[in-house]
Amino acid sequence: MIEFDQEPPKRQFETLIPLINVVFLLLIFFLLAGTMQPAENVAVSLPKGALNDKERDLPSTLIVEADGFVWLGDRVMDAKIAGHFVKQHLGEEGSRRVAVKADRDAPAEAVLELMEGLREAGVEQVTLLTERGS
Amino acid sequence: MFEEPVRRRGMASLTPLIDVVFLLLIFFMLTTSFLQTQSLAVVTPAPSVDELPTDARVVEIWLLGNGTIAIDGTPVERAALAEGLKQAIGERKDLTVTILAEKGSKTQALITAIEAARQSGAKSVGTARVERIAP
Repeated sequence: MIEFDQEPPKRQFETLIPLINVVFLLLIFFLLAGTMQPAENVAVSLPKGALNDKERDLPSTLIVEADGFVWLGDRVMDAKIAGHFVKQHLGEEGSRRVAVKADRDAPAEAVLELMEGLREAGVEQVTLLTERGS
Repeated sequence: MFEEPVRRRGMASLTPLIDVVFLLLIFFMLTTSFLQTQSLAVVTPAPSVDELPTDARVVEIWLLGNGTIAIDGTPVERAALAEGLKQAIGERKDLTVTILAEKGSKTQALITAIEAARQSGAKSVGTARVERIAP
């Protein structure tokens, strides 16, 4: 009877190395290319725009849902009275900068009503967040 | 006697490393977002329409409730808004652009109008909401 040399099972580590390489590359890609954002309780699809004023570090974000309701933190309110709450909120934070995240299907009058309320609360300029596109 | 212990330290097991790297990968895949947001600074509007100037040096953009946009009453396509606004303004750079949003108009139209007004080179941009734009 002919005896064959038994091949020792040594190759499993070698085959794993390309996999590890690819996974590391993906990991580094996601680390560098992505930006972390705090999760928000409302999902809005931002309106598309072309201009970018590149404002950074906007502390208070108001979210206008597609049905016109306004979220400030975890409170939901009508656009008419949002200015009052923003005033209280800004008093706590001591900042005059407000960003507005409005859904692209939100009624424009709700956004404008909110901005009027913000004017009354002493906010001269708001930042509307948009998404790149046309 | 006892056998010599086999020295196998040259190739420590890679499996825990791979597990951790996969976990990190999945974590970053789920938590990162590639949505690039832009910001558009807008001056808050005056509380009443009556405070807006209405003399001849004003170009009005109407955001109508049915989704159409008009410049001083002439309907324009959304894509042609910036161009139409440039024509309406012409060489007079001291103009004010007023954006009137009728009940039922959407935020997307408002943003489009604000950006067009900004790019047109008008001196100032005002916004106001109205119940209904008189034809």
